[in-house]
Amino acid sequence: MRLSTLQFHTAGVNAILKQQAALSKTQQQIATGKRVQTAADDPTAAVQLQQLERLQAQQEQYAKNSVVLTNRLQLEEQALTDSTQLLQRVRDLVLQANNDSMTDADRQSTVAELRGRIAELQSIANRQDNQNEYLFAGSATASKPFVRSALGAMEYHGDTGTRSVQVDTSVALRDGDPGLQVFAGTRQGNGTFVAAVNSANTGAGSIDTGTVVDAASWVPDNYQIRFTAPGAWQVTDSGNVVVASGSFSPGGSINFRGVQVTIEGQPAAGDRFAISPAGTTDVFATLDALLASLTGSGGGQVARARLHSELGAALLQIDQSLEQLSGVRSEVGARLSSIDDIAATRDGRLADIATSMSQLRDLDYAAAVSRMNQQLVGLQAAQQSFSMISRLSLFDYL
Amino acid sequence: MADTLNIGVSALAAFQRALDTISHNVANVNTPGYSRQTVNLATPPANQYGTNSVGNGVQISGIRRLYDQAIAAQVHSATAGFKQLEVLANYADRVNRLFSDSTTGLAASMQQFTNALETLSTSPSSATARQVVISQAQNLATRFRSYQGSLDTMSAQLNAQVDTEARSISEIAASIADLNRQIMAGPANTLSGPNDLLDKRDLLLGQLSEHLAVTTVMQNNGAMNVYIGSGQSLVVGGVASKLQAVPGEFDRGEPGLTLSGYSTPADVTGAVTGGTLGGLLQLRNELLQPAKNELGQVAATVASLANQQQAAGLDLQGNRGSDLFTIGAAIGYGSSHNAGSAALTVTRSDLGAITAADYQLRLIGGNWVAVRSDTGAAATVTGAGTTLSPLSFDGLQVVVSGTPAAGDAFLVRSTGTAVAGLGVALTTPEKIAAAGPLLTAAGNANTGSASISAGSLVPGGSWTRGNYTLQFTAGNAWQVLDSGNAVVASGAYVPGAAITFNGMSVAVSGAAAAGDTFTIRDNAAGKGDGRNARALIDLLNGGTLNGGSLSVADAAGRLIGKVGVQASQAASGRDAQNVVLEDATSSLQSISGVNLDEEAADLVRYQQAYQAAARIIATAKDMFDTLLAATGR
Repeated sequence: MRLSTLQFHTAGVNAILKQQAALSKTQQQIATGKRVQTAADDPTAAVQLQQLERLQAQQEQYAKNSVVLTNRLQLEEQALTDSTQLLQRVRDLVLQANNDSMTDADRQSTVAELRGRIAELQSIANRQDNQNEYLFAGSATASKPFVRSALGAMEYHGDTGTRSVQVDTSVALRDGDPGLQVFAGTRQGNGTFVAAVNSANTGAGSIDTGTVVDAASWVPDNYQIRFTAPGAWQVTDSGNVVVASGSFSPGGSINFRGVQVTIEGQPAAGDRFAISPAGTTDVFATLDALLASLTGSGGGQVARARLHSELGAALLQIDQSLEQLSGVRSEVGARLSSIDDIAATRDGRLADIATSMSQLRDLDYAAAVSRMNQQLVGLQAAQQSFSMISRLSLFDYL
Repeated sequence: MADTLNIGVSALAAFQRALDTISHNVANVNTPGYSRQTVNLATPPANQYGTNSVGNGVQISGIRRLYDQAIAAQVHSATAGFKQLEVLANYADRVNRLFSDSTTGLAASMQQFTNALETLSTSPSSATARQVVISQAQNLATRFRSYQGSLDTMSAQLNAQVDTEARSISEIAASIADLNRQIMAGPANTLSGPNDLLDKRDLLLGQLSEHLAVTTVMQNNGAMNVYIGSGQSLVVGGVASKLQAVPGEFDRGEPGLTLSGYSTPADVTGAVTGGTLGGLLQLRNELLQPAKNELGQVAATVASLANQQQAAGLDLQGNRGSDLFTIGAAIGYGSSHNAGSAALTVTRSDLGAITAADYQLRLIGGNWVAVRSDTGAAATVTGAGTTLSPLSFDGLQVVVSGTPAAGDAFLVRSTGTAVAGLGVALTTPEKIAAAGPLLTAAGNANTGSASISAGSLVPGGSWTRGNYTLQFTAGNAWQVLDSGNAVVASGAYVPGAAITFNGMSVAVSGAAAAGDTFTIRDNAAGKGDGRNARALIDLLNGGTLNGGSLSVADAAGRLIGKVGVQASQAASGRDAQNVVLEDATSSLQSISGVNLDEEAADLVRYQQAYQAAARIIATAKDMFDTLLAATGR
């Protein structure tokens, strides 16, 4: 083919320029350490990198969330531990007070301590975190949850809302429990029914908290155990219909409709004991009632019998509350341990993401440097050959 | 003897011309567009002596330009192709670089916004967390606007360039027409034309091909007619038309092109292909506008989702949230040819159905027909175009005001305008609606196993706030009581179905028993509630675009990937076209280009021939002298 002089020069220079462009690209890759400089270099990898970066940022956010969540759960766990210890102390006080040998002075000091404990429990239930949010107010975290009304009854000012914190793509854990579920909502009595001594009783009979013998036969209603004579009882329902009757000796049990209660001491004729279906109560109501029992109790057999019944009921109620607290606590513990499990998985995942990103984006230096050497040799050869050949001209020989 | 002298003189003259031509070639070795010339030598008619014919020396039959019209046409079309891809590749690379930065990129900004929401959902009552959400929302809006700004700058440069291109093309066309006139005025000589004029004209044609693709037709009188697009004439003989950039048919800011020389200037916007101008128009339609539209789609979706969710929750003061973002409205541009007075009001009604495409909406035979600008596919249009029954297609609603005439056309831009109006409407951190609106709970004494959903507000509905109780009067019937125990709604129980009353909606599922109650409380006090922020995160992470198959982050990724593919395709297309151009150019050069070695050889050849011819004259003189000496005395 005929070659024009202009074309020879243009082609030679173009070849050198192309080599230089390729070399500059390699140099830029080596300087930044990145194989993919812009999306155009490898669109698929660029899109994947963006997704991985998003995943990474998401996982890092979940790690931050976990820290906040752990802090809150630890605060809650501490509050629950404190409440449990407090209730256990109260339980000891009840056991001591139930002892007939207690003097009035002893009882007064017990009453004083109990008052203090109730206030202390209230302050635990009203604890705040470092952001001044109430731990046990549900989602109404700005409202103090446990406040006494003008009449002295404890009221719940929080709500039932819960807040879930995302700790993994599909895992959200509650960062607390509403006070209503921690300190209230406790089943009364033995969970099925409540036994109580009528305050007008003249005999010295005391009633225990009772047990359910046959759950299927139990019909929830308000029953009265009435002693028609010191040795005879009958049970009437809310319609005043007699549902059971029998004879009585102290320490003997009374069975009706699948439940069993035991009456100690000697009731007088006309004495009544109420059996009512268990509702729910809260720990403050329990302690307030306990305080009232201890404060109002006078001397004498009759009063002592009632106190026995009431303290027995209080003890059961405190145990129910303790059980409730320990239930919540074990749930909190489970959440804390899943945070740890998830953190371990997350670390592995973050390492995977980093590896994938590096594989997609980072430069293989060995390959790049050897490519650069090749390109350097190519460029030199192009330059040298061009300058040598372009020097040749027939005019030089004329 | 006189013949010998004449022959010698004819040879001297011929070789002198040949040497002149060689010198002209050497002198123009670097002249762009120059085609080498050769002298064609021929014998003049011989003298007849009886039966013998004796040669009569040499004469120049022509000075020929070595040029191949067909290969030149290849070079011109390859130039047009290369220039088109070059401008495309340059802009595509700029767009690609714009979107490729991962640390300050779109995906990173969106993730920062999501992370701020994540922190808010964890600590909803924290003033800092709320402030960070506002700041990140502003940052996100700024990021979107900065992308849009860069794309707008490119559009402005592009539009200015279209104008410059049109002017250059008109000037070159005028010069070609001028050369045509000069060539037509010269002597008609098929063997030896006005070579340098032809070279100039071909050079101009080459320059014209850099601006747009042209076709040429040679005339017998030597003129060359130049046509663009589908046969619109740019140069006919000695007359050139004028290509002009004029305000666009729909968006007046996007110039169109007209060609003068017709009774009314012809609109050739769609007809121009190839060259820088063709590349610019392709770039506008296939790269810049789609990029703006897709960016707008992502922005409109993120902002609308945030606004929707704001209205579904309660702020720190317990009030229903208001819009977090302002969003640019969709626009319907009327054609400048429209005979009617109609104007369009376009709203985005369904985020999942909206596409990033522009639409041509045309009134044909009394029916509105919508055609996607990118694929050319028709969209199904329902509705009458009134406020009560707007035209609906692909997630858009269009209200037509004024009176349209038959054949009137509109360009509906659904998402491309969203970013222009994107901003953050909220400035007070307390106004962010992080909390869910309702608190629902099952009654303690419930004996059934039914459970209640978290409940939500009816979008756009009027909410009568208060605390309500949902009560099952029987296992299969419910009623809702307000706090004054008045029945506000009742119905038959369908597990899982929405129960809607007073602007609220809840769902109960599972087996309910008579007497079961559920409380539905106003969550105004829920300052620690982050459910609504959480819901927004889930929306942002979940599929919301393309009928729910694409998340906003995926859409942003898709945009970046698409731009990257376009840039890499344009670059490899340009390189491939460059090879074609180089091939064609070297083919033409191997015919037309000057080779100095070749000229040197020719120089020697003709120089020697010239010397020989001179010797003929010397010989003739000697012969004459000999004759004179012999006959002298």
